[in-house]
Amino acid sequence: MIPQNFEYSAPTSLKEALALIAKGDAKVLAGGMSLIPLMKLRLAAPEHVVDLSRIADLKSVHEDGKGEFPGGALHLGALATHFEIESSALVRSKCPLLAEVASNIGDVQVRNVGTIGGSTAHADPAADYPAGLMALEAKVHLTTAKGERTLPIDQFIVDALSTALKPNELVREIIVPVETRGTGFSYQKLAQPASGFAVVGVAARVRKSAGKVTFVRVGVTGLAGKAFRATRVEKLLEGTSGSAADIQKAAAQAAEGVDANTDLHASADYRRQMTKVFTARALTQALSRAD
Amino acid sequence: MATTITKTETLVGKRIRRKEDPRLITGTATYVDDIQMPGMHHACILRSPHGAARIRSINIKPAINQAGVVAVFIGKDIEAVGPVPCGASLPGLRVPAHSILAKDRVYYVGHPVAVAVATDRYIARDAIDLIEVDYEPLQAVSDPEKALEPGAPAVHPEWPDNTAFTFHQEGGEPEKAFKEAEVVVKQRITSQRLVPTSIETRGVVADYRSAEKNLTLYSSTQIPHLLRTLVAQMLGLAENRMRVITPEVGGGFGSKLNVYAEEALMGFVAMKIGKPVKWIESRRENFLCTIHGRGHVDYYEIAARRDGTVLGLRLKLIQDLGAYHQLLTPAIPTLSVLMMPGLYKFRNVIADIVGVFTNCVPTDAYRGAGRPEATHGIERMMDLLALELKMDPAELRLKNFPGKGEFPYLTATGLSYDSGDYAAPLKKALDMVDYHKLRNAQRDAKAKGRLMGIGISTYGEICAFGPSPATPAGGWESATVKIEPSGKVTVLTGTSPHGQGEETTFAQIAADELGVSMDDIIVLHGDTSIVQYGIGTFGSRSTAVGGPALYYALQDLKAKIKKFGEMLLESDDVTCSGGQCICNKTGKTIEFAQIAAASYRAMKLPPNTEPGLMATHFWEPPNFAFPFGAHIVVSEVDRDTGQVEIQRYVAVDDCVNIINPLLVDGQIHGGVAQGLGQALCEQAVYDENAQLITGELMDYALPKASTMPYIETGHTITPSPVNPLGVKGVGEAGTIGCSPAVVNSVVDALSHLGVRHIDMPLTSEKLWKLVRQGGQA
Amino acid sequence: MKVGGSYTLPLLRQRAHELLQDPAILARCMPGCEDLKKIGPDEYEMQMKVVVSAVQGLFAGKVRITDQKPPESFRLIVEGSGKVGFMKGDGLLTLVPATVTTGVSILGSEGTEVRYEGDVQVGGTLAGVGQRLLDSTAKMIIRKFFEKLAEAGAETEQAAIVP
Ligand SMILES: Cc1cc2nc3c(=O)[nH]c(=O)nc-3n(C[C@H](O)[C@H](O)[C@H](O)COP(=O)(O)OP(=O)(O)OC[C@H]3O[C@@H](n4cnc5c(N)ncnc54)[C@H](O)[C@@H]3O)c2cc1C
Repeated sequence: MIPQNFEYSAPTSLKEALALIAKGDAKVLAGGMSLIPLMKLRLAAPEHVVDLSRIADLKSVHEDGKGEFPGGALHLGALATHFEIESSALVRSKCPLLAEVASNIGDVQVRNVGTIGGSTAHADPAADYPAGLMALEAKVHLTTAKGERTLPIDQFIVDALSTALKPNELVREIIVPVETRGTGFSYQKLAQPASGFAVVGVAARVRKSAGKVTFVRVGVTGLAGKAFRATRVEKLLEGTSGSAADIQKAAAQAAEGVDANTDLHASADYRRQMTKVFTARALTQALSRAD
Repeated sequence: MATTITKTETLVGKRIRRKEDPRLITGTATYVDDIQMPGMHHACILRSPHGAARIRSINIKPAINQAGVVAVFIGKDIEAVGPVPCGASLPGLRVPAHSILAKDRVYYVGHPVAVAVATDRYIARDAIDLIEVDYEPLQAVSDPEKALEPGAPAVHPEWPDNTAFTFHQEGGEPEKAFKEAEVVVKQRITSQRLVPTSIETRGVVADYRSAEKNLTLYSSTQIPHLLRTLVAQMLGLAENRMRVITPEVGGGFGSKLNVYAEEALMGFVAMKIGKPVKWIESRRENFLCTIHGRGHVDYYEIAARRDGTVLGLRLKLIQDLGAYHQLLTPAIPTLSVLMMPGLYKFRNVIADIVGVFTNCVPTDAYRGAGRPEATHGIERMMDLLALELKMDPAELRLKNFPGKGEFPYLTATGLSYDSGDYAAPLKKALDMVDYHKLRNAQRDAKAKGRLMGIGISTYGEICAFGPSPATPAGGWESATVKIEPSGKVTVLTGTSPHGQGEETTFAQIAADELGVSMDDIIVLHGDTSIVQYGIGTFGSRSTAVGGPALYYALQDLKAKIKKFGEMLLESDDVTCSGGQCICNKTGKTIEFAQIAAASYRAMKLPPNTEPGLMATHFWEPPNFAFPFGAHIVVSEVDRDTGQVEIQRYVAVDDCVNIINPLLVDGQIHGGVAQGLGQALCEQAVYDENAQLITGELMDYALPKASTMPYIETGHTITPSPVNPLGVKGVGEAGTIGCSPAVVNSVVDALSHLGVRHIDMPLTSEKLWKLVRQGGQA
Repeated sequence: MKVGGSYTLPLLRQRAHELLQDPAILARCMPGCEDLKKIGPDEYEMQMKVVVSAVQGLFAGKVRITDQKPPESFRLIVEGSGKVGFMKGDGLLTLVPATVTTGVSILGSEGTEVRYEGDVQVGGTLAGVGQRLLDSTAKMIIRKFFEKLAEAGAETEQAAIVP
C-alpha cells in the first residue's frame, strides 16, 4: 500500500494551482479520501500531485443574494469539507437538504477531510452528494487558467466516475439555491455495510400549497452509473394531495427505465426495489417537513 | 468505574483500569513498525495474482538493476529453508510441501513468489513491480463442495480428490438412536470464511549478527517461544542463538497464533544481506495472506423423542482448508467435533470430517477456533427441533442439560466437562429479558405485521488449552516471580498477551498474594531471552493456565519469604500477609522489602535455602476448563428493506471467578462484536476463479462502533475444580455465543413465513428476498 | 461477472459488422487503445491505457474474433493484463436490423441493434478492491465504445456518400 513516486506541490493560490495542472499529468488532491487509497493501491499513479488544501479561496462558504438562482444562492467552495457543510449554520438554515446529505457520508473521519469538490469531481456512482445536488438542481462552477464556466450538475456528471471536467480544469465551487421557505426535504439512504457508500440514496424536496403538492424534486444515487433526477416521480406527485397512496404510486416509478448496477452488496433487482422504498421514505419525510 | 488502589484492599474482583492503557492511548507503545535500526533494509513481497498458475519463468533483472535494491530472492534461492510447519497431526493427513516462496506453481491469490530487499520501503515496493513473472494460469477451485466433485481442478496435482484428510468420531450408538428416534431434523448449515482483521497487521524485523551467529526476530505474534523453536528449525539455527521479541501486538484473534512464511523469510534475508530487514504486511496482504477463519459446510441431523429428549447427533463436516496447512489448520474442525453436542445430553454422536484443499489462503484458528462453528450448528439445530416439536426453545434447552449433580460430565465425544450449572445462566438471561412478557410482546408485534424475533443460544467452550497430551505443542504454562533487592516485583509470564490485559490481571493476582501495591509490580512477556519458555496466548488460556502457573510460583516464593521471615523474626510462628511477615507471638513485623534486601545480601541464610527471591513454576493443567453461558437477542427485520435491528443483546457468562470485571466485560463486548460481524455482515468471498473479491475494507464489512447494540452482561459463578484460582477463560465466549443467538432471533422473526434456516451473513438483501418470497429462498 | 445489453447504431447491419471487424476502427473506439496490431487472422495484439477518473491502468493484451457468422454475429474475446491486474472478456455480439429512434442518421431511421452478452473475469488488485465499481465502469466503458463506434460509423458513411 505504497504509492508510486510522485512530485508534490502545495500552491497557495488558485492561479498557481491552475498553472501547475496545465502542465499535464497532474492530479489535484483535495481531501484525499478517494485519491489516496487509489494511489496506495497503485490504481492511480499521477506524476504530479497538486494539493489544494492551502488555497484559502476554495474554502469559502457564503451566500450570494443575486447570483445563480432567483431566490439567492449558496456558494460552497470546492474544499468545504463534508463536516463543514453538515455543521455550517448557514447551510443548515439556507439549504438544509445539503447539510443532511453531508451528515450521511461515510464516517466521522471521512467527513472531517473529504470535500464537496472532491466528491463531485470524483463522481462515484454511489456517492451521496450527487443525489442532493440533482434534487437541488445545483450548478458546478469550473475554472481553468484561461477562463470559467458553470454547468448544471446533470451536465457535469457524465457517467460512472466520469465528468465534464477537462484535464486542466478545477471545480471551484458548487452553487445551490437558497431554499424557499416552507420547502420540505429529506435524504434517505441505504448504506452499504462495509464502506458506508449508498446502495441507494434518495434526496427529496417538496412544496405544498393549499393542500396540493406544488413542487417536487427527487435525486437518486447508487442505483445506476450516475446519479439522476427521477422526473417521473416528480411529475406523478406534483398536483396530488401527497397522500401515502400518492407517494407510493409516484415512488414506484423511481427506478423505471434505469439500467441498475449489480455488485456483491446488492443485486440490480434489490437496488431497484430499494430505490422505490427509499424514494417513498424521502418523500414522506419531506412532505411531513413541508409547510 | 475504575477504583484507585490501596495496598490493603484485595484487588482480585475489582474493576481496575488496565496498566497497559496509558501507553496504548497516548501512542507511545512500540509496535514492530516502530522499530528503527541503523542500516535497516526493507522488504516487499511479490505475490501471485492468480488462484492457480504454473510459473514459466521469473525475470528479476529489471528489479535488481534498480538503484537501492540490494537483493531479490525467488523460490530457487530458498531451497535450504525448511517448510512452513504444520503442528497438527491426524491419521493419514496429506501435508503439501509448503515452501516459504512459491517454486514452479502458485496455489492461491497472494502466494509469495519473490521478495525484493531495498534501502527503503518505497524502492522495495517499486522493485516488485519490475519483477517479470510469466504465469500460465490454471483452473482454480474455491468452493470446498465443488472441490470434492469428481473432475474438479486439483489444487495439488498429486491429490486429485482435493481431500487432505478424513476424520471419524463416534460415541454411544448413533445408528440405533436414529433408528429409534421419533423425530429427525436435518439441516445444512454453513459458517462462512472470515478475515480476522486485527488492527495491527503482521510485521517482522529480523536482525542477524554474523559474528555472534545470533538472529533476533521481532514479530507481531501470539507465540514467541514456539515461533523461536520453529523458525530456528526452518533456518537451521541453534535455538539458543535465536531470540524472538514481540513488541506491542495490536490484536491477533488467532491469526497470529501461527508461523508464517514471512517470519522465516525475513530471518533468511537478514542472514543473506547481513543487515537488519523489516517487512510490514499491508492491509491488502493481510486479507490475502494471513489465515482466514471458519469455512465450514456442515450437514447436521438430530434424533429426538417427541417430548424433546435429544437422542443422537450426526454431523458431516466439510472444512475448507485452503491451499496449505498452516500451524493448526487441520486441527480446527476436530475441535468442532469435540464440542458438537454443545451443553446437551447427546449420548450418541457420529461425525465425519472431510478436510478439503481449495485455491484459497489457508484457514486456521480465529476467535473461537472450531467452537463457534460447533455452537452455531448445535444451537441452530436445537431451534429447528423446537420448531418441529412446537416447543419453546428455552424449555427444550433446559430439558436437555445435564443436571447440577452430574459433573464432571463425560460427553459422548470423550470430554469431561469439569463443572457447571448450565440452567443458571440461561435462567438468568431469561429473567433479564423478562422472557414471558417478551414473548407476549412479540406476539403483539407479529399480529401488527412487525417481524420481531427472539433468539436464544447457550454455549460451552473448551478453553484453557490445555492438558499437554491434548495439544500439539504442550499445553502447560509458565511463570516466574522475582522480588528484586529493593522489594519491587517482576512477573515473567510465558503467555503473550496482546490486548487481553494480563499485565493488569496478573499484577492483581500477584499484588493480592504478596500484599504489595500493584504499582510495585511489572509483568513482562514476549521476549524469549528474558522470559522462561512458555506456550503463548490463545484459546482463552492465559489466565486459566498462565494464572495458576503464576499462583503456584507465588506460593513457592511466599514459602521462601516465610523462611526468611522466620529467620529474621527469630520465630517459628510467622504469617506472611499484607506485604510483611508477622510473628504471631510477639506481633513483631518485617516488611517484604527488608526481607528481599536480606535475601540478596545473604549475610545469613535460613537452613537449606539459597539466596535471592525468585520462583518459577511450570503448570500442567489436569483438564481443559469449560466455561458456559447463554445469550439472548431480540431483533426486528425491516419488512421493506430486510435490514436487521438488534433491539436487545443479553449475554450471561459463567467463567467462574472474575479477576477484573472491567476486562471480562471488554472481552465479552469484543467477542460479541466479532460474532455480530459473522452473523450479520462479514464474509470473505472468493469468486469461481479463486479471486478474493472482498479484498479490503471497502467491501469486507466489519461491524463498527456505530452499529453495535448495547450489550447487557450478566454473570453466574459455578465453582470449578480445575485450578486453584477457580478461573476459566473468557476471551472467546462472546463470539461463540453470539452468532446462533442472532440467527435464531432472525429466523424466529420470519418463522411464520415458513423460514427454518438462514445462512450467515444475514445481509439485508437475503432477508428482503425471504420476506418478499414468503419465506422461500 | 455477467455483462449484457444492447446499443443501436445508425448503420446498416453489413456496415456495422464490417466496422466491428476493422482494426483501425476498433483501435479508435476501444477506450484507451494505444496500439492494435494484427498478429493473425482475426487476432490482434493491443496496448490499452484505461483511464477512469483517477484510476489508470496500462494493459497489454489480445483481441480475438471467433465464431464468425457475418453479418449476424461473432464472438469477441479481449484479454489484457497489467500491474493492477488482468481481465478477460468473452462475449457474443449479435447484430439485428433495427429502427433508430434517437440521434441523427443520414440513413434515416434504419440502423442495427448490437446485442452483447458475455462474461468478464477480472483478477489481481482490480478484482480484490474494485468490486463496488466494476459493474458500473464496465458498462460505462462498453457505452463509450459504442458511442465512438456510432461516431466513427457516421463519419465513414458521410465520407462514402459525400465524396
Ligand atoms: C471509508 C470511506 C467511506 C466513504 N463513504 C462515503 C459515503 O458514504 N458517501 C460518499 O459520498 N462518499 C464516501 N466516501 C468518499 C468521500 O466522501 C470522499 O471524500 C470523496 O468522494 C472525495 O473527496 P475528497 O475531497 O476526499 O477528494 P480527493 O480524494 O482528494 O479527490 C478525488 C478526485 O477528485 C479530484 N478532485 C478533487 N478536488 C477537485 C477539484 N476541486 N477540482 C477538480 N478535481 C478535483 C481529484 O483529483 C481526484 O481525482 C468514503 C470514503 C472513504 C475512504
